[in-house]
Amino acid sequence: MIERIRHLGQQGCALLEALGRAGIFLGQSALGVPSREGFHLWLRQMHFVGVMSLAIVLVSGLFIGMVLALQGYTILVDFGAEQALGQMVALSLLRELGPVVSALLFAGRAGSALTAEIGLMKATEQLTSMEMIGVDPLRRVVAPRLWAGFVALPLLTIGFSVVGVWGGQLVGVEWLGVFEGSYWSNMQSSVAFVADVGNGLIKSLVFALVVTWIAVFQGYDLIPTSEGISRATTRTVVYSSLAVLGLDFVLTALMFGELS
Amino acid sequence: MFDNISKDDEAMTDSAFVEVESVHFSRGEMEIFRGVDLTIPRGRITAIMGPSGTGKTTLLKMIGGQLTPDAGHVRIDGQDVHALSRKALFVLRRRMGMLFQSGALFSDLDVYENVAFPLRVHTDLPEVMIRDVVLMKLQAVGLRGARELKPSELSGGMARRVALARAIALDPELILYDEPFAGQDPISMGVLIQLIKRLNEALGLTAVIVSHDIKETLSIADYVYVIADGQVMAHGTPASLDTDRDPRVSQFMHGEPDGPVPFHYPAMDFHADILGSGGPR
Repeated sequence: MIERIRHLGQQGCALLEALGRAGIFLGQSALGVPSREGFHLWLRQMHFVGVMSLAIVLVSGLFIGMVLALQGYTILVDFGAEQALGQMVALSLLRELGPVVSALLFAGRAGSALTAEIGLMKATEQLTSMEMIGVDPLRRVVAPRLWAGFVALPLLTIGFSVVGVWGGQLVGVEWLGVFEGSYWSNMQSSVAFVADVGNGLIKSLVFALVVTWIAVFQGYDLIPTSEGISRATTRTVVYSSLAVLGLDFVLTALMFGELS
Repeated sequence: MFDNISKDDEAMTDSAFVEVESVHFSRGEMEIFRGVDLTIPRGRITAIMGPSGTGKTTLLKMIGGQLTPDAGHVRIDGQDVHALSRKALFVLRRRMGMLFQSGALFSDLDVYENVAFPLRVHTDLPEVMIRDVVLMKLQAVGLRGARELKPSELSGGMARRVALARAIALDPELILYDEPFAGQDPISMGVLIQLIKRLNEALGLTAVIVSHDIKETLSIADYVYVIADGQVMAHGTPASLDTDRDPRVSQFMHGEPDGPVPFHYPAMDFHADILGSGGPR
């Protein structure tokens, strides 16, 4: 019994220590004076984490929008309310599915790649050799990736929602025959820019920070062996997904809780 | 007048560049150093030798400021490495080069860009001059023709030579070699020995070589420290160590498989173990 309590305490301490390390790590890498060189490195990472994730995010957005319209239509048509389809699709995407699904896809596509890349650089002593050259890998390797993730995910989320709304229109209007005017005008009248688009974007920014932070920290902090890299990559996806879903609930409660 | 200068030079070469003072270090339960003292003179090649697992590379990482000792000091040119701020440490590191065992080249850059890396980040040299310096350094290691290759296309020996070119790109005062001869074929080995010696002679670099390749290391070292059991077991010139009568030093220097440093990892009695009284495994 005592042994179990001791074990629990040890785990608690280890968790707090890891959180502390991650916090210092974030501070040391994210804060600093931007430079021209840093901008170029950031741009290259924007291509790697942003542009390269575009296909999976947009295709997923299209399908999610199409499925939403299909499912929404079958329910709404029973109440003769299929005119509200545009409103339903847009609100679901902007408030919830856009930020959350994009973040989950981003964790799987870009987050795991960031962890593996930084981890392999650590395992092959590239980070150590950079330190010995007198270049801080936190500034040179981690910071551009962190900032690229932070900027790229909200942009990808916007793309996801836009394509999703279009997918909803394809199914709802073109296929199921909802009147086009009501699809768009209901959407226009019910979506508030600050409350829906703005809050969705805030969610996305929070998810971007958390997912990228987890990914780069896991890569930097891993045990530099093949097993260590594989575990850290898995941890990135698992922790990011849980953090996104958990934070989504908290943020939704804060943003939309009073609506009820 | 010239006499004076040469005397000053002599004094400079004999002063200590790196001082390691009663360093203690443990990893978990394992005690790696129990009070290690070393002095590395300026402008000389100093070798740190010892059996595998005695913490030679750990010591090198301490000199480079990547690891912090539990007690004791490491001073480079009078500066306590572990008392420096992160920023000051990075400034100090610009005066050092380190050759890693694996080469540790940046895999996303080609050979040319790897050597140009320190120049690009630490100097404002125009592109034309960077090109000249990179080609000079690559010429020195005989790989000017390989400038467009990626690290993945290089053999182990070539990668180490490129890494050497990168380590000397900023003309450092101190260069740390981590096992430079490990896993090299005889030709690459010969090339590396010659390069290390020539760099020391031509540029007056202070060099620290960590190695357990006795013959090769002794052929170029001016002074040797032998580390075992967490302490400096012996030190002296290569000639004096070669004739050292201490059985531990002699076993290491002459590569005898068994002696004071046992061949076997500590274990229970072999007979008892074989007859199965030692548990399931």
